[in-house]
Amino acid sequence: MKVGFFIGCNTAFNRPDLELAVRYAFPRLGVELDDLIGQSCCPTSGTMPSIDLVGWCALGARNYAIAEERGLDMITVCSTCFGSLVRTRYYMLTNRGIQKQVNRILQEIGREYKGISRVRHATPYLYKEIGLEKIKEAVKYRLDGLTVALQPGCLTLWPSQLQADKENDPFHPQILREMCEALGASVPGYSRLLDCCGMGAMRSTDMERSFYLAERKITSIRTEINPHLIVTGCSSCLIQLDTTQEFLQKRRRIYYEIPVLHYMQLLAFCLGADPEAVTSMSRIRPDRVLLDLLLRYQ
Amino acid sequence: MKTAVEIDVNSGIGTAVMPKISHSRGYSCSMLNNTQPFSEIFDPAQGQPGLIQEIPELRATKILECTQCGKCAAACPLVLSGFSFYNKRVIQTIVVGFKDLILNDSSIWACQSCNRCTEVCPMGVDPFEIMLATRRMAVREYALPTTAIEGIKSLYDTGHAVYISEAGIPRKKLGLPETPPTTTTYHEALLEVQTIMKKTVLAELGLIPMGVFGITERL
Repeated sequence: MKVGFFIGCNTAFNRPDLELAVRYAFPRLGVELDDLIGQSCCPTSGTMPSIDLVGWCALGARNYAIAEERGLDMITVCSTCFGSLVRTRYYMLTNRGIQKQVNRILQEIGREYKGISRVRHATPYLYKEIGLEKIKEAVKYRLDGLTVALQPGCLTLWPSQLQADKENDPFHPQILREMCEALGASVPGYSRLLDCCGMGAMRSTDMERSFYLAERKITSIRTEINPHLIVTGCSSCLIQLDTTQEFLQKRRRIYYEIPVLHYMQLLAFCLGADPEAVTSMSRIRPDRVLLDLLLRYQ
Repeated sequence: MKTAVEIDVNSGIGTAVMPKISHSRGYSCSMLNNTQPFSEIFDPAQGQPGLIQEIPELRATKILECTQCGKCAAACPLVLSGFSFYNKRVIQTIVVGFKDLILNDSSIWACQSCNRCTEVCPMGVDPFEIMLATRRMAVREYALPTTAIEGIKSLYDTGHAVYISEAGIPRKKLGLPETPPTTTTYHEALLEVQTIMKKTVLAELGLIPMGVFGITERL
């Protein structure tokens, strides 16, 4: 099985440890990754989408065209990339006029958008294509006794009608929970599970308000389930929840810290990756939690 | 004592005094004007009637389906964090025709693109599409925050909206190539992205130096 790896800006430049985790985990589950050489930004909603629909679709279509030339689908660990690419595909496939305009632009660079390849989110991709049983068999270290709090990531869930691997009920997401349980972790729910983390455009527009959302979320997680780790399905949530706790501590808003990992980092760890490497960019070190687990296997 | 949202019964579009998080949560005051309450009374007759036509032209075609039921607002992170112009109110303000109200506020640029509104809308309006179309309208009036311009410039210059030039060091430590296999490694790929961007409305707007229409970057 082979799939294109759409890396995404935040993963490539902010969290290369996450990129490493994906490159570690996927081949070990029997999925070969293609680099999609020459890929660009998805583009994210603050740039071309806020200027021109056709320009947005054209940049998205170029990324799709690279995958189509290789006959592959794309996977991404970033909800923003996923959401942007899902939408551009929807616009181009439902509106012939837009697709024609896009292909006229793509002609200039010798590419064409055909509408074959799809973009898929990495976690649901593994859930559907590999399955929980095979993941259970492949893991070296299990997370028994570990409590994790989930943060699925908005665009992984919504708009569900445009997605290929949608949840049965996006307001009660199951995929990420089942994936964590497959690794042995216990995954209790908490009241603000579906709340937004505050990353993205809100953080660049107004940090205070963005922190306010993160604080609500983290406080709810801590007071209701007090987990060992927060596990996200989205690279933006990962960055937001990992970095804001430091700010909130400085402002005396919280007096604790909970390490945050992307599901792919946790999976890579369970498959035997060096925990130091696949979490190397984390501000809040998950070392104690992960090394405790490793000690059991010594 | 101010309540969370005060609706002025005398006004047409419901003037609101947004809660300042800075007071209730102990944060310092924010830098942007979305924290300032607007408590003037607006006369709907003063609205600009043609405004509603602009939005479908900017590709949000279903705005007139909106019944102002408020489901989108109930799901919106902008509401949760106290921004003045969230999906429902943006639609309302456009329908009544107060362009300046939206342009003078940074709320639309804080939209998280989370698509909760699109998911819950019972009328199929796709409010997120309207937020984007409203941004497109604001861009055509050159009313956009500098962070947006920086993102667009970064996209044009590197092929990535988020680009960190120092990322090579941690990447190398992890045994990854210093630059990812994207436009940052392959110059021809970057030229493709730039060719595409030059063919869009962005070039006509002249927001960033692109070497077209005589706008170039000179250092």
